Amino acid sequence: MDSSEVEFLAEKEMVKIIPNFSLDRIYLIGGDLGPFNPGLPVDVPVWLALNLKQRQKCRIVPPAWMDVEKLEEMRELERKEDTFTPVPSPYYMELTKLLLNYASDNIPKADEIRTLVKDIWDTRIAKLRLSADSFISQLEAHAKLDNLTLMEINTIRAFLLDSLNCMYKLRSNLQPGSSKGQFTDY
Amino acid sequence: MPCERKPMRYGHSEGHTEVCFDDSGKFIVTCGNDGDVRIWEGLDDDDPKFITVGEKAYSLALKNGKLVTASSNNTVQIHTFPDGDPDGILTRFTTNATHVVFNSSGSRVAAGSSDFMVKVVEVSDSSQQKTLRGHEAPVLSVTFDPKDDFLASASCDGSVVVWNIEEQSQLISWPVLQKTNDISNAKSLCRLAWQPGTAKFLAVPVETKVHLYERGSWDHVSTLSDDLQTQLINVVAWSPCGQFLAAGSVGGSLTVWDVNSKLCVERYKHEKGFTVCSLAWHPSGSQIVYTDTEGCLGLLDGLTKKAAKDYDDLFDDDDDDRLMDEGLSETNSPVKKPITGDDDDDDDDFLMPATGRVRNRGAILDDENSLDTGSLKLGQDKFGDDDDTGSVVVPAAAPLVPMRPVYEGPMPTAPQKAFQPGSTPAHLTHRFMMWNSVGIVRGYNDEQDNAIDVEFHDTAVHHAMHLTNSLGHTMADLSQEAVLLACPSTDELASKLQCLHFSSWDTNKEWMVDLPEGEDVRALCLGQGWAAVATSALMLRLFSIGGIQREIFSLPGNVVCMVGHGEQLLIVYHRAPGFDGEQALGVQLLQFGRKKRQLINGEPLPLSLQSHLSWLGFTAEGTPCYVDSVGVVRMLNRSLGNTWTPVCNTRETCKSKSDHYWVVGIHENPQQLRCIPCKGSRYPPTLPRPAVAILPFKLPLCQTSTEKGQMEEQFWRSVLFHNHFSFLSSSGYEIDEDGQSQTQKEQQELLMKMFALSCKLEREFRCVELAELMTQNVVTLAIRYASRSRRMALAQRLSEIALEKANQIQEEEPEEQEEEPEYSGVRRTSGLRNVLMGYVQVLGSGKPSSSSGLPRVTNILDNMTSSRKSSPLSRSAGIPSKGPVLKPLAPRPKTKTGFQFWLEENRKSITADQPDLEETDIIKEAMGRFRTLSAEERLVRNTKGFREEGLGHMSSGHEGKVKRSRYFYSTNKAQNSTTLPR
Repeated sequence: MDSSEVEFLAEKEMVKIIPNFSLDRIYLIGGDLGPFNPGLPVDVPVWLALNLKQRQKCRIVPPAWMDVEKLEEMRELERKEDTFTPVPSPYYMELTKLLLNYASDNIPKADEIRTLVKDIWDTRIAKLRLSADSFISQLEAHAKLDNLTLMEINTIRAFLLDSLNCMYKLRSNLQPGSSKGQFTDY
Repeated sequence: MPCERKPMRYGHSEGHTEVCFDDSGKFIVTCGNDGDVRIWEGLDDDDPKFITVGEKAYSLALKNGKLVTASSNNTVQIHTFPDGDPDGILTRFTTNATHVVFNSSGSRVAAGSSDFMVKVVEVSDSSQQKTLRGHEAPVLSVTFDPKDDFLASASCDGSVVVWNIEEQSQLISWPVLQKTNDISNAKSLCRLAWQPGTAKFLAVPVETKVHLYERGSWDHVSTLSDDLQTQLINVVAWSPCGQFLAAGSVGGSLTVWDVNSKLCVERYKHEKGFTVCSLAWHPSGSQIVYTDTEGCLGLLDGLTKKAAKDYDDLFDDDDDDRLMDEGLSETNSPVKKPITGDDDDDDDDFLMPATGRVRNRGAILDDENSLDTGSLKLGQDKFGDDDDTGSVVVPAAAPLVPMRPVYEGPMPTAPQKAFQPGSTPAHLTHRFMMWNSVGIVRGYNDEQDNAIDVEFHDTAVHHAMHLTNSLGHTMADLSQEAVLLACPSTDELASKLQCLHFSSWDTNKEWMVDLPEGEDVRALCLGQGWAAVATSALMLRLFSIGGIQREIFSLPGNVVCMVGHGEQLLIVYHRAPGFDGEQALGVQLLQFGRKKRQLINGEPLPLSLQSHLSWLGFTAEGTPCYVDSVGVVRMLNRSLGNTWTPVCNTRETCKSKSDHYWVVGIHENPQQLRCIPCKGSRYPPTLPRPAVAILPFKLPLCQTSTEKGQMEEQFWRSVLFHNHFSFLSSSGYEIDEDGQSQTQKEQQELLMKMFALSCKLEREFRCVELAELMTQNVVTLAIRYASRSRRMALAQRLSEIALEKANQIQEEEPEEQEEEPEYSGVRRTSGLRNVLMGYVQVLGSGKPSSSSGLPRVTNILDNMTSSRKSSPLSRSAGIPSKGPVLKPLAPRPKTKTGFQFWLEENRKSITADQPDLEETDIIKEAMGRFRTLSAEERLVRNTKGFREEGLGHMSSGHEGKVKRSRYFYSTNKAQNSTTLPR
């Protein structure tokens, strides 16, 4: 799975916008949207919100968790705990990236939020690597990780699976081969 | 000497308190049982500075930036003032000190103690002490001779002693007080006071009177008394000028005497009657502060200023009047006036006009019987004496100012100021000047910038604007056509009105008007094609949107606010002063356009108790509504004689008490109250940009938790919010017929549900009541329901109602069409009755599957379905344009009568017969022919017309929706992206 595919899924999340045009309810395959009244908040998927925003047809209302204080709290908690803490949105990284890239003028303290989310992300990825490392080094058969987001799983999946495969190969060759001493002079 | 008694406020915890002013008079300083000294910047200071001096503070004195306190650790300490840093201990006693005072220069402090001793200490060097021994009981109070030779003290042993400080000896002792064994048992604190300046008198409170002893001779020269003073006097204090003496008593009365005339010039009562335990004059002599044993602090304001003024008034009078005036004011000596709060006095309050002369006369009428010339003479004599010493400069007549009766009835409320609905307060540097359904006008007024930003919710109206606010506009309104701004007048410039008419098609998009000198814009609003301005001269000026001056008229009172919508103008103004926190507002609703008229003619605007108006506006559909400060939204009910119905209480949805909703707009269809939630304030800040929330409406009906209450609420709300349809159509606007039929359907459904519920509850009478609210065809359904549930009596009654309704509809028709000839109503009714009776019979006979029954019965149902198809109301649905709700009138499909149908069919034949006829002649001719038709044939025509009109409502909305969604399906398939705006 590509990260762009994960982002595509994230674009289905709903976000509030304040349109500056008026349009009656629109009927789409994914569901009905609207009606759009100028100045009145309405929930739309992120892809539509970004599309409208790029055409300057709306202002995006940032999600409630996209707030410096709340993110700071979350960062502290994430740093304190050894396990993964629940995230505000299953697509927090993607949403932050998308909204900040296209609608940073509608989000107060955009730079701070970017840094905070990056901090949280880094902390979580570090934990993920650490657990992968201990998983492998302790030769565990299975591991359970809670509260991981799709994007996080996706970043490590390719590498982890490949390396596990590789190691499996190495081990499977090594054990019967050790008696034969295949690798001894390698 | 009229003065103002300020309300008491909490100062300290319960117990003995003391109070004084600092030297400048800027601060009030108090100490109390809680051991704190508090420094108040005024009576209204809610956050006083405090210095903790001990567990309890018994007494304090303040002079030259030094604060001396007697605290519970048996010491007398000094603190700096106002910083409150400890500055050493002045002296100690074996038990606590009871009273400390400074001498006039501030160089010495005297302290009396419960260990029977009085000490006099030099402030600069506390080792230089003089101890005055001789009292045989705790010392109550001490006071310095202003000339520093003597000291007077009062003690629980019943004596008041004058000491020679240098010799530390008793000079004289008066056993005038009651003996007690301790301060806590003493009935009076007996605070002594020496006249400042001349130091002529020593005032000693003795029971209910004040004795004045003369310095030097130590004779008891006079007594100040008041007939109404029945309680022991606790404290006395001289005014800084030495002319007045104030006394506070155990029962809470405050009395001020003029010492020269020996007359009481002021008399007040503590609002709760607590013991006054300390009194102090402001250094200017215009205020008295006092504290009571419950720890409360009070203030009397405006004492000498008013006295001086009254005095001036007296001498401004003509010479002829002067003597009489003097006489009058003398007779008005308050000694003889009944105490304030007395019933007689209250009457006076209402009768007496404010002018001094008449007031005096009124007093004479009251007080003639009790006129006491003796006391007057005494006053005059005293004046002569004082003149010799040169200490008194005020003539005798002056202090005898009348005491103004205290008014204790309902107090008028300050009228609320004019405001623009949808604006935040003008004093803010960043504020909303207007937030309405069209857009937002923001005003910035800080160091960098004085500017106005105009932003439109719908960018299709106009792009955003940024204006420099060089004129200092404070008011704004915004419509689809223009921005209207106004500024108040300044010293040089007149009040200006500026209009940015951005929708103008020529190149000049702006005009400006100066108001006449002395006239200020108070409120303004924009309508469709006009602008209105209410001014401080109680004038309403109308302008066309292009800048032509139009009608002008006078307003009945000061404007509060006004709004415009389409052709309607709504003005709210002050009708009269309100009382006890209420506002008395009046409302005017005018309609311009072709028929100019006044719809609401200055009726009172109902507000919640103790509230003011906070928002005024029209719904998007044009119904006036307003919000008061308690958060109740009210809407005009045009169908009930222009009454106001509360439709929402925004406070009910608030989480905390200090949260509010700031209303920005109201929509009737869909029912939306658009507002901005404000946490902990009444209005939102400009940043971060507030988000609009939507609140539902709810009529405050009873028992809305029950199913019945809920449905009733829904029904009446629907009816209320349905009113705008009839208003819009009557004033010539296009209406959303889909929406109208939708709401009608919804109402009928609700009625049917309520009907079913009442049926279940065996409330047949209620069922009939409900049926009366139904339309005729729903009544038929109700009949069916009733007969199915085997309620024959009910069904019978309902059928009668159905008949009545059918008659009504048919009677209305000929009224509409006046040319209609006399009709055979009886016949028609009887025909219908047959139909309905037959229906009931069929159902009653246990054959509910009616279609197989009488052909007449199926006829009714068939009519319903067939009319659905032929309904003229089900328009071909497209994307309903969502622009402004008000649209100019499109020719409305009028309901057709039988005659019209007939005319359409037969027009050709008429024109063929007589081709040269005019349109009116054709109708006349047609009328003639129609009359010749047989009655039966006419009936057919009429019912045809009726069916198409009446039965169409129920179904058309639904059908329209189906069609519309089908339409969308196809467009979406064809070109999905084009449905989005670009």
